[in-house]
Amino acid sequence: MAHIPDGFLSAQVMAGTAAVSAASLAVAVHRSRRYLAEREAPVLGAATAFVFAAQMLNFPLGAGTSAHLLGGVLVGTILGPWAAMLVLFAVVLVQALLFQDGGIGTLGANTLNIAILGVGGGMLLYRWLVALFGVGLRRRVLAAAMAGFGSTVLVGLAVAIELALSGTVPLAPALVAVGGGHALMGIGEGVITGAILGMVLRARPELVTGMRDPSGRGRALAYAVTGFALILAGAAGYVASSQPDALESAAERLGIVEVETAYLTAPFADYTSPLGGALFAAVVGVVVVFGVAWAIGRAVAWRGLRT
Amino acid sequence: MPPLISVRDLGFHYPDGTPALTSVSFSIEGSERVALLGSTGSGKSTLLQHLNGLLTPNKGRVEVDGTQVNGETVLQVRRKIGLVFQDPNDQLFLPTLLEDVAFGPLNAGATPDDASARARTILEELGLHGVEHRAAHHLSGGERRLAALATVLVARPALLALDEPTGDLDAVSRARLVRLLRARSETLLVATHDLRVAAALCDRGLVLHHGALVADGSLSDLLGDSTLLERHGLAAPLEG
Amino acid sequence: MERTADVSFHHLDQFASVPSPVTRATPTARVLATTTLAVGTAALPLGAWQHLGVLAGLVAFLAAAAHLPVSLVVRRLAGPFVFVLAASTGLLFLVPGEPLVRIGPFGVSDTGLQRFGFVLGRASVALTAAVVLVSTTSFPELLQALRQLRLPAVVTTALGLGYRLLYLLVDEIERLQRAARSRNAQGGATSRRRLLVGISAAGLSRAFARGERTHRAMLARGFTGDLPSLAPKPWDARTIVSLCLLVMAVAAVAVSAYVSI
Repeated sequence: MAHIPDGFLSAQVMAGTAAVSAASLAVAVHRSRRYLAEREAPVLGAATAFVFAAQMLNFPLGAGTSAHLLGGVLVGTILGPWAAMLVLFAVVLVQALLFQDGGIGTLGANTLNIAILGVGGGMLLYRWLVALFGVGLRRRVLAAAMAGFGSTVLVGLAVAIELALSGTVPLAPALVAVGGGHALMGIGEGVITGAILGMVLRARPELVTGMRDPSGRGRALAYAVTGFALILAGAAGYVASSQPDALESAAERLGIVEVETAYLTAPFADYTSPLGGALFAAVVGVVVVFGVAWAIGRAVAWRGLRT
Repeated sequence: MPPLISVRDLGFHYPDGTPALTSVSFSIEGSERVALLGSTGSGKSTLLQHLNGLLTPNKGRVEVDGTQVNGETVLQVRRKIGLVFQDPNDQLFLPTLLEDVAFGPLNAGATPDDASARARTILEELGLHGVEHRAAHHLSGGERRLAALATVLVARPALLALDEPTGDLDAVSRARLVRLLRARSETLLVATHDLRVAAALCDRGLVLHHGALVADGSLSDLLGDSTLLERHGLAAPLEG
Repeated sequence: MERTADVSFHHLDQFASVPSPVTRATPTARVLATTTLAVGTAALPLGAWQHLGVLAGLVAFLAAAAHLPVSLVVRRLAGPFVFVLAASTGLLFLVPGEPLVRIGPFGVSDTGLQRFGFVLGRASVALTAAVVLVSTTSFPELLQALRQLRLPAVVTTALGLGYRLLYLLVDEIERLQRAARSRNAQGGATSRRRLLVGISAAGLSRAFARGERTHRAMLARGFTGDLPSLAPKPWDARTIVSLCLLVMAVAAVAVSAYVSI
């Protein structure tokens, strides 16, 4: 359920996500124009048409399942994150207005999840992984595939959190159901993203935004961030599992009260201890990691511009 | 008075080094009707795209009405040169035909009302009735050609340059297009490898071969010279 | 013949063109009315059944004013409704409360049942509002409305150019798929997946090549980076008054729902 229909979110969550989306899109409009200049219109038109067309193709994944591409990371590797956000927004917008795929009231939330967090988070992950792995063809394909997976999981987490904040579903089962579903979808997204990017890099490399080989310092930084994130996630997991009360009061402060009052029918009866704790820790870990990576990335880029 | 088009010693190669045009020189006076003949890959499209500054020459220069085509004059030049591309789908890119046809006048600063009035007029003139709110993918191939022509004619260009205008048309649509073009008063430059279309529309011919201009003269003389046509891939020798 | 697209994109163009008070209004007003109804409905607090009923009545009134046949609305609703139903079914089992029924390992709680019902109700009413919009408004009109609503120009431009490109691209993708199929007959999932990856990659580079050629055609006609647009359908007094009344009514219903709960 990548696209949240109307009726599933509360007024507050709809308003909040709409405001964040609008602000982020304003930044994206500004950045994309600077990057693509006057060829922006036809390039974004082509990318929008491609995402629509690609979403119509169903890829068999075996065992009777199939998936279609969301395309955020794929378009991001080609046009850069800002233009890709605009493309995915254009797609989400038309899906809501003409295809009833995602609600009109929830447009802000769906934009935030798919166009802003999905693309932005996915592309941060991609850049981070390229800094870790290097820029060779296979490495970039691997990075894009992992980023495609990560981006989809991030969309799922965002959907789950929004549903919980709306009081529609308690956080833990939402995380398990929606997050888990997206983790499965993410596998398809990762495989398809990597495969298509690999083919495009071989056949038409000039289409894909160039990436410079990371400098020694850049790579060291990427490793440092990775290590830091691992330690942090481990610590958070330990704290969460050893002190469940702390977790619950934190959740309460976030307004997700139902976590502690939850009476859960099977099969989620015993979610509260290890599963819920570890998952929540993972969410916190991911958010913090992205925040730190973002801050460091900005700092490095800023210094790079000045020197 | 300067000629409408003056091309002097034009040379162009693609970024990867492939040569496309080598010292091409010719000029076209107002109200001439010229066929640009050449087989596929002879450089016809490349030459046409130099006339309105879509491509920048590596050598030589192009003048339109005495103005050299360069970064500063390019917008002014593009109003005088109406270029109809080979694939009408490239030229019909907006959701409705009315928007497609009004695109040129709007860019040139026409008011929305004026632009849509002019667009409606030209669509009627070309016999396209009741299509203005439709999208190009709902038209037939022949209608699409005419619509692409309309997007250019609406700007009242001095030179109408057509790139393979009859490419994929059936006999009926081709005859309709030829009849229409014969009735126009614009100076005409028709790039084609279809000699019958050239003969029906033009009285002067330029022959391009591997990016070089190999003949320039009266079209009836050129069409009578079977050795020349065969040598440059415009006619196949009879079998047997 | 098997089609490429499982989701038909052709309903981008399948609006009904029955003249009615709704289609006479400027598309911008239609978009605003739909948005108001959808947002108003979606924003109702859980359990506000009477208020939901009032908004459902408003949506039904709008559908009737647009002369939409019930069968058309139902047909259009069917697809998205199944999806919404599936999504809200999850609520039956995920929401904690007093257990009512147990189906094997799963239990349905009273709160879950109520929430399922209300979420489904909200979703259906908002969906119907959206169906009224697509059934009265063509894509070009929608685009005009988005422009008038001051959406970033780059987004409306991308959509405007993307619309035509999508048709051309789907044609090309279908050609590629036919060609591939005629070369190798039925294969397994792996070969089909490989084929689709190839087609997507080819589609991607063709989309950009087409965009590049379109860009040249735009430049040739004096394009300088900003897409100009024709004047949209004008607003008339009746449209303005009706829209204001609708907005006030929906706002009143939504606010009273919060006050009374």
